[in-house]
Amino acid sequence: MNPAKSFLKAISSLRLTVILFALSMVLILAGTLAQTNSGIWTVVDQYFRSIYVAIPFQLFIPRKVATIPGVFPFPGGLTLGVLLFVNLLAAHLVRFKLTWKRSGIILSHAGVLLLLVGEFVTGAFAKEGNMSIVEGGTANYVEDIRTSELAIIDPSGSSDDLVVVIPQSFLEDSGVISNSLLPFDIAVVRWMGNSGLLGPMQQKPPGLPTATAGRGLQISAAPLPAANGVDGNTIDVPSAYVTLTKAGKSLGTHLVSVHPQVGTQEVTVDGKVYLIELRFERHYKPYSIKLIDFRHDKFVGTEMARNFSSHVQLTDPTRRVDREVYISMNQPLRYAGETFYQSSFMQGDKGTILQVVRNPGWLIPYISCSLVTLGLLVHFGIRLTASIRRKLA
Amino acid sequence: MNPIRFLPWLTLTLVLLFVGRIASEAMRSHDQPGKMPYDALGRLLVSDGGRTKPLDTFARSSLLKLNGRQTYEVDGKKRPAIEWLMEVWGDPEAAESRQVFRIDHPDVLAVIGVSQQDRTRFSWKEISPHFPEIVKQAELAFAVTRKKQDPFQRHITDLYNKLSEYATIRDFRKPYVVAPFAPGEEWAPLINQEGTALAEGESAKAIRSIIVALAAKPGESQRLDDLTKAVADYESAIAAKLPSDDRAAGLEVIFNRSAPFSQTSALYVLAFILGCAGLLIRPLSPDRWSIGFTKSASMVLIVSFAIHTVGLIARIYLQGRPPVTNLYSSAVFIGWACIPIALLGEWLTRSGLLQLIASLIGFATLIVAHNLGQSGDTMEMMQAVLDTNFWLATHVVVVTIGYSATFLAGFLACLYALGGVLTPLLKGEPMKALPRMIYGVICFASITSFVGTVLGGIWADQSWGRFWGWDPKENGAAMIVVWNLLILHARWGGMIKDRGVAALAIVGNIVTAWSWFGTNMLGVGLHSYGFMDSAVFWIVAFALSQLAVMGVALVPTDKWKSLTLSEPRP
Repeated sequence: MNPAKSFLKAISSLRLTVILFALSMVLILAGTLAQTNSGIWTVVDQYFRSIYVAIPFQLFIPRKVATIPGVFPFPGGLTLGVLLFVNLLAAHLVRFKLTWKRSGIILSHAGVLLLLVGEFVTGAFAKEGNMSIVEGGTANYVEDIRTSELAIIDPSGSSDDLVVVIPQSFLEDSGVISNSLLPFDIAVVRWMGNSGLLGPMQQKPPGLPTATAGRGLQISAAPLPAANGVDGNTIDVPSAYVTLTKAGKSLGTHLVSVHPQVGTQEVTVDGKVYLIELRFERHYKPYSIKLIDFRHDKFVGTEMARNFSSHVQLTDPTRRVDREVYISMNQPLRYAGETFYQSSFMQGDKGTILQVVRNPGWLIPYISCSLVTLGLLVHFGIRLTASIRRKLA
Repeated sequence: MNPIRFLPWLTLTLVLLFVGRIASEAMRSHDQPGKMPYDALGRLLVSDGGRTKPLDTFARSSLLKLNGRQTYEVDGKKRPAIEWLMEVWGDPEAAESRQVFRIDHPDVLAVIGVSQQDRTRFSWKEISPHFPEIVKQAELAFAVTRKKQDPFQRHITDLYNKLSEYATIRDFRKPYVVAPFAPGEEWAPLINQEGTALAEGESAKAIRSIIVALAAKPGESQRLDDLTKAVADYESAIAAKLPSDDRAAGLEVIFNRSAPFSQTSALYVLAFILGCAGLLIRPLSPDRWSIGFTKSASMVLIVSFAIHTVGLIARIYLQGRPPVTNLYSSAVFIGWACIPIALLGEWLTRSGLLQLIASLIGFATLIVAHNLGQSGDTMEMMQAVLDTNFWLATHVVVVTIGYSATFLAGFLACLYALGGVLTPLLKGEPMKALPRMIYGVICFASITSFVGTVLGGIWADQSWGRFWGWDPKENGAAMIVVWNLLILHARWGGMIKDRGVAALAIVGNIVTAWSWFGTNMLGVGLHSYGFMDSAVFWIVAFALSQLAVMGVALVPTDKWKSLTLSEPRP
C-alpha cells in the first residue's frame, strides 16, 4: 500500500474516532473540574479553544485527600475538534457510499461537521458584552466586562467630550504611558486584574502603594485572585494605582477602579479640569436604547424572582428605527445582527443589565442539530422497524 | 389444570386490592363529630414559597424540615404533621414540649448540653435555655460562606434556621393564610414582620375565628363545634372565590395522603422479588412455574408503573409544569422513563430480565428521590430563567430520558456481567438477548441525550445568547453523548464485542451519575440549582461499585459461568 493511502486509511479509521472520543471525555472532565479554580472564560480559552493544555494532576484529587504537584500535557479542544473534523470528513471520502441505508448516517455526520464548524465560528467571532441602563436613561454603547480601559476625558467641549482611552493591555505591563493626545503622562504603579475595595478603617495588606490624591485617599484596593464563579462573583473587578505627571511634576498617585464606588475623578492640570476613570471597555453603537421601565416581579411572600423584564425604546437613525420593545427572560430582542437578553439588574431595581451578543454563527447549531437529529431518527428508525418486523414475522 | 396458571391473576388481584384500599383511605374524610376536624383543616388553602397549597402540604414540609420526617411522635405513637401544626397554633405551650427538632451532630448536641447521644429529637423547651449560645455560634458560622463551613458550622446554622422557622410559623407570619378575596389583593400573612396584625377583609376574619376556636380551652365540645363550623364556612368561601386553586388543593391532599411514590417503590420491590423468583427457579423446575412468577412480576410492574404515571400526572397538574422541574422530580422521572423502554424490550425478547432491571431502577430512583425530597416542598416555584414550560417540556424531559436510557443500558450491562460471570442463570437465550438489548438501549440513549443536550443549547441561546457555554452541567450532558457515541463507534469498528460494550456501558453509569449529581456538587455554573453536600459519599461509593462490576465484566469469557464451551463466546 502506498504511504498516502495508508495515511488516509489511518486518518479515516474508526479507531481514531474512538480515541478522539476518549480524549474528549478526559478533556471535558478536566475542563469541568478546572472551573472550581478558575473562571469559566479562562477555562474555555485554556481547555476548549486551545491547541494544547497543561492539566494539573491536582484537579482529579481533592486537596483534602492529597496534594499532588505537576501537570500533564493534553491536546486542547481546538486540536481535538479539528482532528474529529478531519477524521469524519476523511471517513466519508474513503468509504463514501450513498445508499438509503446509510442516508441517516450521512445526514447526522454532516450535522456533526457543521456543529464543529459552528463552535469554531463562535469561538473565533462571537462577541459578548453588557449594556447597563438606569431607568429613564439611555445607552449607546456595549461594555465588555472581561476587559477594561482607562479613559481620560476632556469635558470642556461644548457638545462632545474629548475622550482618550488606554486599553487594559497597556496598563497590565506597568510602565509609563505618554502620548501627545494625553494631557499628562501616566505611570502604572500597580495593576490588579481583580480587586476588592477597602474602607479607610480596614487593614491594608502590606506592599501596596498609597494614593496621594483623589478617591484613593479614602478607599484603597487590594488584589484578589481571578474570579472563578464558585463564590458567586463571576466578574473580575480591575483596579490600578497610577501616578500622573505633567512635565516632570507629579499630580499625585490615584486609585482607579471599575468599581462604581471609585467612579470618575477630577484631575486639574494647569487650571484645566480633566476626568479619569477605569471602566469596562466600551464599544459604541449606531443605535441607542432607552430604558422606559424595568420590572422585577417576585413570587408572593418570597425574595425569589418570578420574572425580569425591560421595556425599552430602540432608536437607530441610521436604519430609521424608533420603536418600543419588551425584553424579558427567554424573550430576547434580535436586532442588527445582535441579540439583547435580559441578563441582570442593578441594585435596588434601579436599572437593567442587558447582555448583548453578536454571533455571526448563531444559526449554525440550529441547522446542524436538525440534521443530526433527522439523521439519527432515520438511521435508528430503519433499524428498529426492521427488528420489529422480524419480531412480528 | 395447573394452579400456577392463576398465580399472575391472583397477584394482580391482591395488588389492586392493596392499591384500592390506599386510594379510598386517602380520599375519605376521617373527621368525626366530637373530634378535631384535622382533615378539613388540612384541606384549607394557604400560600407559601409563592405557591398556593393545602395547609396539609405546608404542615408536612415544615415538619420535614424540622424533624426530617412528615410525622412526629406523641407518647411513642406517630402523629400526622397537621396535628402538630394545629397544636402549635392552638396550644403553643403544649407544642413546645414536642420533640420535633432533629439534631444529630455531636458538637451541636454539646451546645444544648447533651453529652450522650441517645436520641436525636429535642423539644423547644429543651433547647430554649441554650438560645444565647446557639445564636452566638450561629452568628460566628454565618460569617463563613456555606461552601466553606465545617460540619459543625453547617449544623449549627441549620439548627438556628429551624428554630427561627418554627418561631415564624408559631407567630403566624408563615404561611400566608389570608386569601385574596377582593380583586387586586394578594395572599398575606395574618401577622406581618413587625408583629402587627394585617388585613381586615372577610378571609382575615374567618381565619381569626378559626384560630380563636383552636385556642379556646373550656367547654371542649362547644369549642369543637365552633371550630368545625368556622373551618367549613371558610372552606366554602374559598371554594367560591378561588375555585381552581381549591380543587387543586383537594387533589393535593389526596396526593399527600396516598403517597403514590412510596406505594410504587414498594410495588417495584415486589415485582423485583417475583421476577428474581421466576429466574431462579427456571433451571430447577418446570417451565410454567418460572413463567408464572415472571408473569406475576410483569403484572405488578405494570400496576406499579400505572401508579407511578398517575403520581407524575398529578404533580404536573398541581404544579402546572412539565414533569421535571428540580433534582427531586428528575429522579422520579428517570425511574419512570426507564420502565416503558424496558417493557418494550421485554416484549421483544420475553427474557424476564428487562423487567427485573426496570423494577430495580424504579425502586432505586424513587429512593434517591425520597432522599432528595427531604428539604421541604418538592413542588417549589422556579427561578425566573427556568420559568418556561416549553423548554422544561422539551429539553429537560428529553435529556432526562437520555439519562434514563443510559442508566438502563448500564444496569442491563451490570446484570449481564454479574449474572453471566458469577451464575449459570443466564445460560442460553439470555446471554444472546442481553447484549442486543444493551446495544439497542445505547442507540436510543445516544439519540435522546444528543437531542436533549442540543435542545438545551437552543434554550441557552434563547435565554442568554450562548448556544454552548461549557458550563459544568452542559459538559456533563456532552460527556454522556460522547460516551454513548464512543461505545457505538467502537462496536461498529469491531474494536469491542458484547463483553466490551457491557463493560463500557457500566462505566456509562458513572458518567451519568456524574452528570446528574456530580456537576451540581461543584456548585458552579448556571445549572447548579441542586447543590448538595451529603450526596458526595454516595456518588463516590456508586462509582466504585460500578468500577468493581466492570472489573467482573472483564473476566475472560472461559470463566463465565453462563457460557459453556459449546456456545459461542461473546
